[in-house]
Amino acid sequence: MKQLLDSNIEIFVESDFIYMPLLFDPEVVQEIQALFQPQRPQAISTPPALNTIIRLSNRYFVKGLEIHSLLDNFKAINAYDYERLRNHYLRKYYLLSEIDDIFIDETLRIILFQVMPYFVRKNRRLERKKLNNEEMLDFISKKINIPLKYHQDAKSFRNLEPLKEILRNLKDQKPITKFFKNGLTTTRKLRDWFNEAIQEKILADEQDRIEKSLQVRQEFSKTKTEHIAVMLYIADTGALEIDGFGFTKSNSYTQEYLVYKRTGEYTLQDYYARSYLFPDCRVAISTYTPFWPFVIEKYKHPFLLRHKPGQEICMKDYRPPEELTAENIINVLEEGLTALRYGYDGRRRNGYHSLDKTWVHIPTIDFEEYRV
Amino acid sequence: MDLIKDIKRNRLKHRQKEPLKKDIFNQISSIVKRYELNKNFLKVLDGVEDYLSNVNLNANRVRVKASMESPLFSLVTKDEYMLTISIIKKIGNSYLKFAYSPEEILLCGPLFRLNPSLTPENLERYHFETLFLHERVKADNKEHDEISNRSIEDT
Repeated sequence: MKQLLDSNIEIFVESDFIYMPLLFDPEVVQEIQALFQPQRPQAISTPPALNTIIRLSNRYFVKGLEIHSLLDNFKAINAYDYERLRNHYLRKYYLLSEIDDIFIDETLRIILFQVMPYFVRKNRRLERKKLNNEEMLDFISKKINIPLKYHQDAKSFRNLEPLKEILRNLKDQKPITKFFKNGLTTTRKLRDWFNEAIQEKILADEQDRIEKSLQVRQEFSKTKTEHIAVMLYIADTGALEIDGFGFTKSNSYTQEYLVYKRTGEYTLQDYYARSYLFPDCRVAISTYTPFWPFVIEKYKHPFLLRHKPGQEICMKDYRPPEELTAENIINVLEEGLTALRYGYDGRRRNGYHSLDKTWVHIPTIDFEEYRV
Repeated sequence: MDLIKDIKRNRLKHRQKEPLKKDIFNQISSIVKRYELNKNFLKVLDGVEDYLSNVNLNANRVRVKASMESPLFSLVTKDEYMLTISIIKKIGNSYLKFAYSPEEILLCGPLFRLNPSLTPENLERYHFETLFLHERVKADNKEHDEISNRSIEDT
């Protein structure tokens, strides 16, 4: 089917059936001659829609696929292309689920408007002004260089008319695409028509989503274009980082985030008061339980069991919170940061490993390379 | 007893797989499709004798026969079908189904005229140009021998 649509040959369309040019070999020629003998009355009397072969000024066309069955089964026949076209059209009208969901995503609102203000430097001077949601979005758009594309997209996003029109058409059951004309045509024309028809089919299948999307957009129609651009940027990239604080979408769970804060470089001392300079790392908490701080990167530290990514920080007697609130996220991150930066006591050699080499037979993580 | 043996032999014969015979239409139509031949090829085919008399073929050159797997069933467009049928009708000899390229199609006629009893093994194995040169040298030598014999007899 893909080959047919990609080619440029003449075809014949009759009663929604595609008739392809007949290919020949000696047996086919014999059959054709027998079929179109002048003595055979049924060859002439049969209605054209029922004919397997149609003769058109000494050219023969053989009955192939039914156009609408092709449309209905396109998803099954060519799943890859269907998904590609679906994504293309959903993106065209900003109907991808992440885009609308991001405006009503409660977790993201907590991170953006309650946790982020705690960790980022909002004011240059020593002012301690609390920022509201609007001001926070203003602050983000100043700090992050949002590409122009998202500002243009934001303008289109606020324009509700195309979606309203699609919904009106769907509700009135008005076919947007005309029926494909009967007669001689080319596969190129068929392909153009087919793409249009697929678009309509996708939009008809997504009617519920369009309704929901319209509702969300009407709610946010008075939001500033810059703010929508910020949200579209987050929906697209799935991550944001300002002043060492940031968040990124979880790979494992949709609608879940990893919220992190960078430690920056810091030093720890061993039993003999020798300093060890530790590199920067990201202490994170997942918005999906358990709410226990961990290090995103491959990292080694006396409080981490091994030298690998995603290790939970060892904290004795720590009881993680059971609920995801802004306060809990802040507490967990601070506990994790404090443990890494100030938790190790060189005299007690607490944690899984000791910074200085001890006379034990079990091989352990070595920190010699960090020694200053 | 004889009847039983006869039945058994017949059944065994029917059970044996028979190789699919080479079909001349499949062979030529695949060459037409592969090399995108058109009506002009028929004109070249008409003038092949003139072409061979003018061109200087190197007798020492050994052409390698191109390998080709023709499909079991070949379906072609109307133009390709007409051209294939015209080629088959125009040449009309048994060597044609061993031609693997347009060049070999051209040499089919002259080669058949030089020696119509070449074995299928040789036709399958050697390029028609090599066979043609070989047959032409053979024919020239024969002619030369006849002339020299005649001159000896005369003297």
